[in-house]
Amino acid sequence: MRDLIDIWVTCQTWIFETFVVPVLFRFELMEWYEPGFKAVEIVMLGVVQILVIALGMRFFERRWPLEKAPDDNLASVDRTYTILNKLGIVPLAVFAVSYPITNEIEYVVRALGYAPPRLEQIVPWLHDNALASFLLYFVLYDFAAYWLHRAQHGFSWWWALHSLHHSQRQVTVWNDDRNHVVDDLLMTLALAVFSQFVGVQPDDYILILMIGRLIESWSHANVDVSFGRIGERLIVGPRFHRLHHALASPAERHIHDHNFAPVFPIWDILFGTAIYDGKHRPTGVDDPVADADNGRGWIGQQVTVLGRFLKALVPRPMRGPFQPGLRPPAE
Amino acid sequence: MNRLAVVASLLVLAVGAARADTVLVLNSDEASYSVLSRSTRTERIRLPVGREPHHLVFSPDGKEVVIGSTVTNELLILDAQTGEKRRVVRDIVDPYHLGFSPDGKWLVTTAYRLDHVDFYHADSFKLVNRVFIDGLPSHLVFDAESKTVFVTLQETGRVAAFDMETQAIKWNVTVGKAPAGIIMLPDNNRLLVALTGQDNVVVLDPKDGKVTTSLKTGRGAHNFWPKGDGRHWFLSNRVENTVSLLDTQEMKVVGTIKVPGGPDCMDLTPDGKELWVTQRFLRRIAVVDLAQMKVVTSIPVGKSPHGVMMLNAPAPPAATPPVRAVSSSGGKK
Repeated sequence: MRDLIDIWVTCQTWIFETFVVPVLFRFELMEWYEPGFKAVEIVMLGVVQILVIALGMRFFERRWPLEKAPDDNLASVDRTYTILNKLGIVPLAVFAVSYPITNEIEYVVRALGYAPPRLEQIVPWLHDNALASFLLYFVLYDFAAYWLHRAQHGFSWWWALHSLHHSQRQVTVWNDDRNHVVDDLLMTLALAVFSQFVGVQPDDYILILMIGRLIESWSHANVDVSFGRIGERLIVGPRFHRLHHALASPAERHIHDHNFAPVFPIWDILFGTAIYDGKHRPTGVDDPVADADNGRGWIGQQVTVLGRFLKALVPRPMRGPFQPGLRPPAE
Repeated sequence: MNRLAVVASLLVLAVGAARADTVLVLNSDEASYSVLSRSTRTERIRLPVGREPHHLVFSPDGKEVVIGSTVTNELLILDAQTGEKRRVVRDIVDPYHLGFSPDGKWLVTTAYRLDHVDFYHADSFKLVNRVFIDGLPSHLVFDAESKTVFVTLQETGRVAAFDMETQAIKWNVTVGKAPAGIIMLPDNNRLLVALTGQDNVVVLDPKDGKVTTSLKTGRGAHNFWPKGDGRHWFLSNRVENTVSLLDTQEMKVVGTIKVPGGPDCMDLTPDGKELWVTQRFLRRIAVVDLAQMKVVTSIPVGKSPHGVMMLNAPAPPAATPPVRAVSSSGGKK
């Protein structure tokens, strides 16, 4: 194990000292020295994630596809999303915008004398049990992500952004990162503020994102796999989450408004949005406006969806009762 | 029976030796600190400590070690002889760097992430004042009379001096790019500041912060440690991956040691023969043989090792019952 760590940190140090440090030093950014080193690790972990998806998860999709194999041309833009996200390019841009905002919020809160109520202070046992502490914060973080996901579906302006994630015709492991950058920004801001208030430490936050996003990639996989009767109630798997991407039918007009949980299905079970009926529903897009995203590249999708978002921000009386492409909030 | 007594005495002696032998290393990207054996050069155990610990100091009476846990806003107090956990002090916000005033009355902490400098009563850890100041307050040092504390501000490239009586800022001056480590020389008339954004240290006049001298050392000049003779100081150069030996009387570099992996904090073995240097990026601590002026071994520890401290406790009296060298409050990770 130690040999693997040594290889990992040697590579990380080499990349950092060869490519990052000269830039930080030259442009007087040495206060970002330590964060820069961590950023290199995030990129390296991103490469690992991509390999896990491309070699591991895709193997299952090819070997045991649930739906007809997807059109590779349509899936290619999703691979672009995955690469841009996992290699930290989109997250870096989102961080650059969100950091000053979250920092300012933290300063104001601290200036008012508020320090996040660490769970360790309520449950001292956690203080000496890093794994239990991490898992508890992970669950809390997922709880926030669940409600934010419901908000993405509940507010028409937010749905205008999030509809990009639901606009793919065939759901695969590559789909998880298919999101608008403004959607990413909003989610990051909300989760970062939540994390600050409940005291999730920055390193936990990164690890939570890494593990969580890998589970979420798998939950989109085009396979009929679950973790068993008990397991599928503990961790989100493809059978559970693909229902969230199912095509609506007259009988199930709001099928998308179920199985929201990113990692732990307990939230759907507790709040009455879980469906465990074992039925196979075809996935895809049933909104012609959102479906038009298919065939566009990354930039085209970003521009188009930004337009949908801006249109949705116009107060309702000024834009008529309903516009195509903007699904009404859940009944 | 006699044989048993001999064995028991040897055990007591061995335990005492083990305590004097202990080195603590804070794994700042983990929630742990490593307890190492100086003689066997191995990590004995890794123990839990809040979140993101960076620096540690001895208490004014030398009986305790105080570790700042930045994310949990706590101080972890250890027994200075054994390294065992004694208690946790809460509501010490973001204690990145910390120091007790030489008169033992004050504890000052810098909140690097949250931009403030806090003044606490050293005996009660009660907050007296919190001064918000821009620019990532980093390291601190006191003058010999405990009248002033000097704080480096990494982002704004400044050093600020605070009056200990009023906690008011006496002066706040620009010194160079990304100042980090700061020391007061024994003459109490010169401050040395390491410039991590440059390749040098500067000498300041503690009266007004005026830069009087500059000395080139290596890129990423970062932190100091005394050699113990009142004249020579070690300085880690994080980007250059070296440690410089400075003669502060002649103000020149008299030796350079290669230490890979972003060398940071240091401590000397009690015999003065070895310098132990944390290698932040490599998750190791380097052992430098000062006779050879080179790294002779590197010991694996946790992620991003930062602060390091030798526990130089003398062996306890034979009557003292054996004390565990490590805490029972948590297992090895």
